[in-house]
Amino acid sequence: MLSARDEPAAPRRREATDLYATVLEVVKRYHGAARITRVSYGAGMPVDRLRSLVDRLVGLGLMKVEDLDGRPAYDITSRGQEFLTTYWKMRAFIEVLEANPEDRISRRRS
Amino acid sequence: MPETRIPANSRARLGAVAGDLRVGAGGRIDADGKVAVSGEARFDGPAEIVGTLECTRLRAGEGSVRVSGDLLVAEEIDSRDGSIDVGGSLKARRVDVARTLHVAGSSEAQKFDVGGRLEGGGPLRAEAVSVGGQLQVAGPLTARSVEAGGSMDVGEITLESLDVGGSVRVGRGEVRRTISVGGRFLATGELTFGSLDVGGFAEFKEAARGGAIVVGGMLAAERDLTFDSLEIGGFGRIGGNGKGGRVEVGGHFDVRGSFDLEGPLEVGGAITVGGALTGERLEVGGKITARRAVFRDAVKLAGIIGTEEGLKGARVRIERRSRARGPIVGGAVEIGRGAHVEDVYGERVELHEKAEAQRIFGAVVELREHASAVEVVFTGSVEISPGASVRVGPKKVDALPTFPL
Repeated sequence: MLSARDEPAAPRRREATDLYATVLEVVKRYHGAARITRVSYGAGMPVDRLRSLVDRLVGLGLMKVEDLDGRPAYDITSRGQEFLTTYWKMRAFIEVLEANPEDRISRRRS
Repeated sequence: MPETRIPANSRARLGAVAGDLRVGAGGRIDADGKVAVSGEARFDGPAEIVGTLECTRLRAGEGSVRVSGDLLVAEEIDSRDGSIDVGGSLKARRVDVARTLHVAGSSEAQKFDVGGRLEGGGPLRAEAVSVGGQLQVAGPLTARSVEAGGSMDVGEITLESLDVGGSVRVGRGEVRRTISVGGRFLATGELTFGSLDVGGFAEFKEAARGGAIVVGGMLAAERDLTFDSLEIGGFGRIGGNGKGGRVEVGGHFDVRGSFDLEGPLEVGGAITVGGALTGERLEVGGKITARRAVFRDAVKLAGIIGTEEGLKGARVRIERRSRARGPIVGGAVEIGRGAHVEDVYGERVELHEKAEAQRIFGAVVELREHASAVEVVFTGSVEISPGASVRVGPKKVDALPTFPL
């Protein structure tokens, strides 16, 4: 039933939602003091690309921006946390649904 | 305080340095024994120290500062826009690195704050570790709190709390308070924890023991799992024995061994238990299969029920149109409309309309309209409604046979 494997499958291409989740998870760890450069290092994407993602997340209410020491600092909103909870849960379901049926059969036999 | 300057792109050999040291971008310093700076070591850009560096404080700009030996800093390492690469061990009071911190040997600080990636080749000891991206430590990781936005891959752990956004892979160890993971959690060795909250997938390769477990997607424990409470949104599997308090599963749940619970078990979909299933209260929406299922309080089942040795509860209710294989034993047993069951044992047994049973042994037995039983044995009273049928009996006896379970 489960697709638990020691080695992960070949990494799938990161979709836009994966990138949004990655950014939100990094921002969350700074507890309201996330700077754009720090987030770019954590999320592994250049600042210019990150800015457009951040603008979208702020526009959707998943992230908020506040002035901290004269510079913008980002934080996740409760709506953003809600998105993350749903995203990770859905990812787990998709992983099981898309698992190779032969893997499942061999696991059952073992 | 005097300052020793190493111009950009130049090379120098230094030992003890009184006061501060300022190194231009591209500078290289060969240690004469070790570079011991009594004040602050400041790097304007990428630089290299061949040997060990000691200083009160280290500041670095853009680029990577590489120290081939140990890096020992009395106060703070502050690399606001760069990386630090240490060939030996690192010791500081506080470490703040924007991009990557790589330490080949052991690492020790009160606080590690790394924006991108922290790679430790040896043990890492800290009060707090915060990493924006990836945390990878080969040796044991000992800390009060660990946070990572992306992923974490660590061997042995001794932590108070762990909070990771993406995925976690740990070896054996202990997290005394909370583990919170957004995506995937994998423990390859034995683990104990206070509580575990995983958004996606939680997997234990070896035995694990903890408090409250909440998994949004799936849980897979290859061996024994012990817990205070367990909530799974999707699917779950325990390869060994399960033991704990309350359990709530939204979808399917498989336990290969026995499943011993102090509290209630609620399963929205189906549960399969290879061994004995025990608990306080049972509610299953779809299907239950177990060698035996014994509950101290109420049992409410809908769908398909299959046991080899039987199902027992203080009060048992089999919902309408359900199908049950194996004996059902209870204080009060209620078989819903149109349900099919085998032998039923109870102080009070009630078959609703069109329900069917094999043998019924009870003090008080009631068969409603069009219900049927192959045999009814009772000690107190029996009530058979119009249209209901009993092929053998009803037979009144002084004492009922010993109930199973």
